[in-house]
Amino acid sequence: MAKSVDEVAEAMFNLVKDAAGLKKLKAMDLNKSMVEMFGPEVDKQTCKDAIKKLINSGRCVYTYFGGSYIELPHREAAAND
Amino acid sequence: MTQAVAERRTDFGPPQYERFLPPAIKKNYGKWKYHEILKPGVMVHHAESGDKLFTVRAASGRLLSIDKIRLYCDLADKYCDGYFRFTSRHNVEFLTDKSENIEPLIADLKKLGHPVGGIGNAISAIVHTQGWIHCHSAATDASGIVQSVMDDLIGRFEQRELPGKLRIALACCLNMCGAVHCSDIAILGIHRRPPKLDHANLKKLCEIPSASASCPTAAIRPATVNGLPSVEVIEEKCMFCANCFTVCPAMKMNNPLNDGVSIWVGGKVSNARVEPMFSKLAIPYLPNNPPRWPEVTEAVRNLVDLWAKNARKYERMGEWINRISWPKFFKMAGIQFQKEHIDDFRHAGLTFKRSTHLTF
Amino acid sequence: MAEQMPQTPLLDELEKGKWPSFVKEMKAAAKKSPMARDLLGQLEQSYKEKIGHWKHGGIVGVMGYGGGVIGRYSDLPEKFPGVSHFHTIRVNHPAGWFYKTDALRKICDLWEKHGSGLTNMHGSTGDIILLGTKTADLEPVFAELGALDFDLGGSGSAVRTPSCCVGKARCEWACYDTMRSCYDFTMAFQDEIHRPAFPYKFKFKFSGCPNDCVASIARADMSIIGTWRDAIQVDQAAVQEYAKGGLDIQNDVIGNCPAKCMKWDGKKLDIDNQYCRRCMHCINAMPKALAPGKDRGATVLIGSKAPIIEGALLSSVLIPFTKMEPPYADLKEIVTKIWDLWCEEGKNRERIGEFIQRVGMGNFLEAIGLEPQPEMVAHPRENPYVFYEEYFEEEGEGEKK
Repeated sequence: MAKSVDEVAEAMFNLVKDAAGLKKLKAMDLNKSMVEMFGPEVDKQTCKDAIKKLINSGRCVYTYFGGSYIELPHREAAAND
Repeated sequence: MTQAVAERRTDFGPPQYERFLPPAIKKNYGKWKYHEILKPGVMVHHAESGDKLFTVRAASGRLLSIDKIRLYCDLADKYCDGYFRFTSRHNVEFLTDKSENIEPLIADLKKLGHPVGGIGNAISAIVHTQGWIHCHSAATDASGIVQSVMDDLIGRFEQRELPGKLRIALACCLNMCGAVHCSDIAILGIHRRPPKLDHANLKKLCEIPSASASCPTAAIRPATVNGLPSVEVIEEKCMFCANCFTVCPAMKMNNPLNDGVSIWVGGKVSNARVEPMFSKLAIPYLPNNPPRWPEVTEAVRNLVDLWAKNARKYERMGEWINRISWPKFFKMAGIQFQKEHIDDFRHAGLTFKRSTHLTF
Repeated sequence: MAEQMPQTPLLDELEKGKWPSFVKEMKAAAKKSPMARDLLGQLEQSYKEKIGHWKHGGIVGVMGYGGGVIGRYSDLPEKFPGVSHFHTIRVNHPAGWFYKTDALRKICDLWEKHGSGLTNMHGSTGDIILLGTKTADLEPVFAELGALDFDLGGSGSAVRTPSCCVGKARCEWACYDTMRSCYDFTMAFQDEIHRPAFPYKFKFKFSGCPNDCVASIARADMSIIGTWRDAIQVDQAAVQEYAKGGLDIQNDVIGNCPAKCMKWDGKKLDIDNQYCRRCMHCINAMPKALAPGKDRGATVLIGSKAPIIEGALLSSVLIPFTKMEPPYADLKEIVTKIWDLWCEEGKNRERIGEFIQRVGMGNFLEAIGLEPQPEMVAHPRENPYVFYEEYFEEEGEGEKK
C-alpha cells in the first residue's frame, strides 16, 4: 500500500536525526533511502511533499555548505550573536 | 526559524514582465524591423508599424544605493513615462519614443556622473562579482579593480571606434560567479598557496569525507592531528582551486601575501564569425595592490591598446590573436611566456601546438 | 554601531575618477544606514590588509525555502557590529530587467527600512541583490516583498533564477520569445528554485539569437539560443545602400562568413542558405538589409559552467532545433528526464556538464531517450576505444545485446 506523506516524512526525519553530526544528507539522499525502504510504495511526489512538510513544520531546515542539505535546526558555527 | 508557519504565500515567482513594459514596446512586441546606432550609447529601433524607439544606455555601478535607484526612477518618470531597464552587463537603459528627450536625458545622466555609451564597437561595463565587499572566498576585490580599470578606459566606453566589441569581466576567485571564462579580457582573482588548516575546529566545522572528496586532484586525505580527527593536504598536488574551502570553512585559502590577479584574453560567447571560445592565460600573476591596482590597470590598458591598434575590422581579441598566432601575441604584448602558461590539468594535451604552423 | 562616517583614505581614492564610483554609492547609503557605515569601515580595513573579512553562513533563510538568502557574517563583529550579520537576499527579477518606477521605488523603501540601502542591479545570475540585512529582518523582508509580488530567486543545489535577453521586447533578431519562455520556465519550476533537491545548481538562460547577449553558452546548464532554419531575409536595395555608404561587403561581410556561402557582384547579395551556419555576422553588419529567416526557433545546448570543479565547459548541442512555442511541453519533459537521471546518478557538487563527461554523452542521450545526431559533435570520435554493445555470437541467431 502506498505510504502516506506523514509516514515518509517520519522515516526521513529519523534518517536526518540519526545522521546529525555524522553526515549531511541531501534531498536526493533522502529520496533514494525511501525507495530502498519502501520500494514501489513510495513515489517521487510523496517524497517531495514529505520534505516540504518537514521543512514547513520547522522540524528540519535547509542548509548550504557548497551544496544544499537537509538537517536538524541548529546554531551554525559561523554565526555571530 | 523553527516555528511552523500555517498559511503563507510561496512560489508566486517574479512579477509578470508585461506589467513593466512601456506602451511603445507592448504595441510593437515581436514586430521590430531593424535598428541603427545613432551615436555612442544611443540607438533607435524601427518597428514594422513605423514607430521608433530610442534607447539611451549609461554606465551604472553594479553596486547601487537606493538613493541612486531613486534618481534613475526620477529620470525615467521625467523622460520615459516611468519605465526603464538594466542590461546583462549592469548598464542602465532608458527607452523613449520621443527623440526630443534624448539630449536632455543625456545631459541629466552626465550631471549624475553616469557616462553614456557601451553600444556597438565599444567597451561595455565590466561584469563582476562581490569581492571584499561581500564575499568570503574572494582572492581580490572586484569593485575596486573595476573602478580603476574603467576610470582608465572610460573613453573607450564613450566612443565606438574600436575594431569590434570588447567584453571585460572580473571574477574575484575561481568560483567565477561572473563566469568570466569566455571574455575578451578576463581579470581573475587567484590564490597561490594551499589551504591553511584550522585543525582544532575542522571536525566541528566540516564533514571530513566531504572535504576529502571535494579535491579535484585528490590532494586531501583524512588524518589525525594532535589527537583530533582532521585532514592533511598533499601540498604538491594542490592547484589552489579553493573548492575545499567552499565545503569546509576550516580550510582557509585567503592569503594576503600571495593572493592576486591573473589576466586572460581572447574568449567570446557570441557565435558571430567564429565559434565561442574560452579565454586563455596571458598574465599568470599580478599583485593585489589596492586601492587602484596600477599593475592590473596598466596591463589591461596595454592589451586593449594593442588589440585596438592591430586588429582588423570586426575582429574580437581572440580572433585577432588566432590570426596572428600566440607567439606573436606574446611578443607584441611584451609578456614573458613561462611555465604557468602551459596547461597541465585535464585535456592539457589538446592545447599543445600539434603542427609546424609557426610564425617567426 | 558606527555613529560617524569612518575614515577611508584608501577608498576615497576610488571616488576621484570619471567612472561611476561604487564608493560614492556606499557613502550615500552610509549617510542613513549604520550597516553601510560599518561596511565602509570593514572594506577600508580589507584594502589595508588585502584580505576579505566575511564568514559564510549556511543556514539562514526564510521559512520553507532552501534558497534565496546567502548568509554572511563579519569576522570582525566587535569592531564592525553593523555588519555582524550582513545577509544577501536574491530577489527574482522581472524577465528582461524591465521596471516601472513605482514598483522599484517600493523596493527601495523596503530596503531602507530593513537593510543597508545597498543593492546590486543586478547579480551575475540576474537577480536583484539586496545586500546586507540581519537574520531577524529576513521574514519581514520576504513578507513585504511578497506584498509587492516579488518572490525570492534561487541559490544552492537548485534551479537558479532563469534569465533572458531583451528578446522580442526590443530586438528584431529574437528568434523566439525569450521573455515569455523565461517567465514560463521560472513559474513552472518554482518548487525546484525554492527547494534545492539536485546534486548542484542548474541554470537556464534564454538568448534570442546566436549573438547570445546573456552568455548562455558559457554559463547555463541549459542554454536556449534562438536560430532559424530557412533562408536569411534579404532586402537587396538596402544591401546596396550599405555598399554605397562605404561598407566593404566583399571584405567585411563575405570575408568573415565562416561558411563562405555568400557572393556579391556589386549589385546583388547571393546567399547559399543550405550552408549558412547561422553565425549572425552578416546580419550584425547590415541590420537594415538582412534578418534571420521566418522559420524561427532555438537550438538547445547543455552543460556549460565555470571551472569549479573539473574545469570550465561550454554548452554543447542537445536539440539542434525546436520551435520554442508555449507551453514548451517537449522541452520541459526532456528537462525533467535529465533531472531524474542526474538526481539518481549524479555526485554531490557535480554539474550536469561534468556528469555528462563522466557517464558519456552517448549513454546520457540513451538514458533520456534522445537519438544521437551529427549536430551534437564538432566531429565524430578520433579514438578507437569504442564501448560496443552489440555483437554476434558463435551459436544462436546472431545479434545479441
